[in-house]
Amino acid sequence: MSDINYFHAIQILEDNCTGCTACVRVCPTEAIRVRDGKATIDTNRCVDCGNCVAVCKFHAIIPSSDPLDIIHKFKYKIAIISSSFFGQFTEDISYGVAKQAVLELGFDEVAEEAMVTEFMIGMIRDYIRANRDKRPTLSSNCPAVVRLIQVQYPALLPNLFHQEAPMSILTRFLRDKVAQREKLSESEIGIFLIVPCVAHVTAVHQPEGAYKHLQDGAFSTGMIYGKVREIVKRIQNDPKDIDTYPQGLTWALSGVQADLVDCEDIRALSVNGVENVMDILSKVEDHYLDQYDYIVLRSCTNGCVGGCLNVENPFVAMSRIKKMIKEGESKDINVDELEALYAKGDFAVVPLTPRPIMELDKDIKHAIKKMKRINEFLTMLPGLNCSACGSPTCYALAEDIVQGKATIDDCVILLKRQNKDDDED
Amino acid sequence: MENALKECFSRAQEAEVTLEFDIPEKDFNNAGKGSSEVKNLLKRLGVESDILRRIAVASYEAEINVAAHSKGGKMMSLIYDDMIHIKFEDMGPGIGDIAQAMIPGFSTADDLVRELGFGAGLGLPNIQRNSDALHISSEAGESTLVEFLIFFT
Repeated sequence: MSDINYFHAIQILEDNCTGCTACVRVCPTEAIRVRDGKATIDTNRCVDCGNCVAVCKFHAIIPSSDPLDIIHKFKYKIAIISSSFFGQFTEDISYGVAKQAVLELGFDEVAEEAMVTEFMIGMIRDYIRANRDKRPTLSSNCPAVVRLIQVQYPALLPNLFHQEAPMSILTRFLRDKVAQREKLSESEIGIFLIVPCVAHVTAVHQPEGAYKHLQDGAFSTGMIYGKVREIVKRIQNDPKDIDTYPQGLTWALSGVQADLVDCEDIRALSVNGVENVMDILSKVEDHYLDQYDYIVLRSCTNGCVGGCLNVENPFVAMSRIKKMIKEGESKDINVDELEALYAKGDFAVVPLTPRPIMELDKDIKHAIKKMKRINEFLTMLPGLNCSACGSPTCYALAEDIVQGKATIDDCVILLKRQNKDDDED
Repeated sequence: MENALKECFSRAQEAEVTLEFDIPEKDFNNAGKGSSEVKNLLKRLGVESDILRRIAVASYEAEINVAAHSKGGKMMSLIYDDMIHIKFEDMGPGIGDIAQAMIPGFSTADDLVRELGFGAGLGLPNIQRNSDALHISSEAGESTLVEFLIFFT
């Protein structure tokens, strides 16, 4: 097991937890167990996909993001907004007004992920062409997907796009530029992300592969939404002229992003939803998708618009963003400086390392012994996969027993059968 | 084939873990599940990822072969602490000319199989390329046994 303490932007409120096991059953990495009637998360296994947050009906698993007032610790405050944010508003609220409202939360400057989309597409194509030996290149923007590959598909780590994600690229670029322009030291500038999912909050606090700490905090779309709506009401009738980048909003939609990268010599595939992502990764492992040069992988439905911290349905949000892309016109952005930084290698990330959770034991002989014992327990268990014991499946319970984390008495069905036998005696 | 390898196909010592799967005729919805289970089990044993990939490719190809060309059969995986021995036994109709079947691109796949994207004639060559030893016994009209070994180190 790893010695690193993994941070997760998910909190369990024990008082609210009823031990219902809904979260246990939706966790793609089997990271959750209910023990003594309360859910617990194995921090080594959790990839921050947010499935448990979305499924919990008792507000017992809640996302944690930073409180908005931390921005006041900095002299100059910058917000970088995820593209999915603009799909969260009814169509009477314009893109520009929604953006201005974020500024009026107390920031000095607002930037958007969408500003660098075109640059990203060029960089991705360039990277794919330079790394054809590691075909297919897998997108690395979704932090939940990166973590999923680290824990369950470590053989595919070299295939990950080893460059920073757009919001991190913007962070580097802006910190430098604003420090010069405003004559401030880098530490006087606070850069914050407005994000659609817990995985992005986690990534801000514990980035994988970053050479240095990038952002100073992350706010969830859901958390600021109420305040933003209030400001919108106030400013809606007298909007300021504000630059927007509708063509860049494609980043929020996994399908559209794949279409953009796809060209004569690059074949791209788009996959979203964590179950689909796992199925595809397993096929990539076996070389069955070698015909693709690039695979866009997003843990949430339709991409970032499906993030569990958003307020709008992922399909409605997608439709709105598509409308904005079609109807709006982006302000031109000069990407020369970004191109130069890329050429210098400034956006490269540290090679990503495995965080294996699958192995039963480091020594194959011991692992086989454990496997045999798991199979023995499995024949005793009822095979209903009911999760009433607090483990997701009978197999997982058998494994928990062998690893010393549960006992066979945790099986409710066996206990019931035993009581029945006792009664009949 | 070397004698040492031959012996590995009929080890006296019992396998540590065995897994068995039925492969029904033309059931392409489920073909591949057996090899995927084997892969997941070997991941739990900590088998190195490169070797895992070879096992996954070889067993998937063999599983598809049974589904596509035979009247159904079964897949039996014998796992030792140093290797895996996977056997595919079907209920016929057998391979008339094994040497011809080994030629890349040669296939007897019917239209249904080809329509589903299989039948490129790379099954057996792929199994050979990814395994450490391959053994096929078959005759026209008889059942076929395809078995291979892949070592963990």
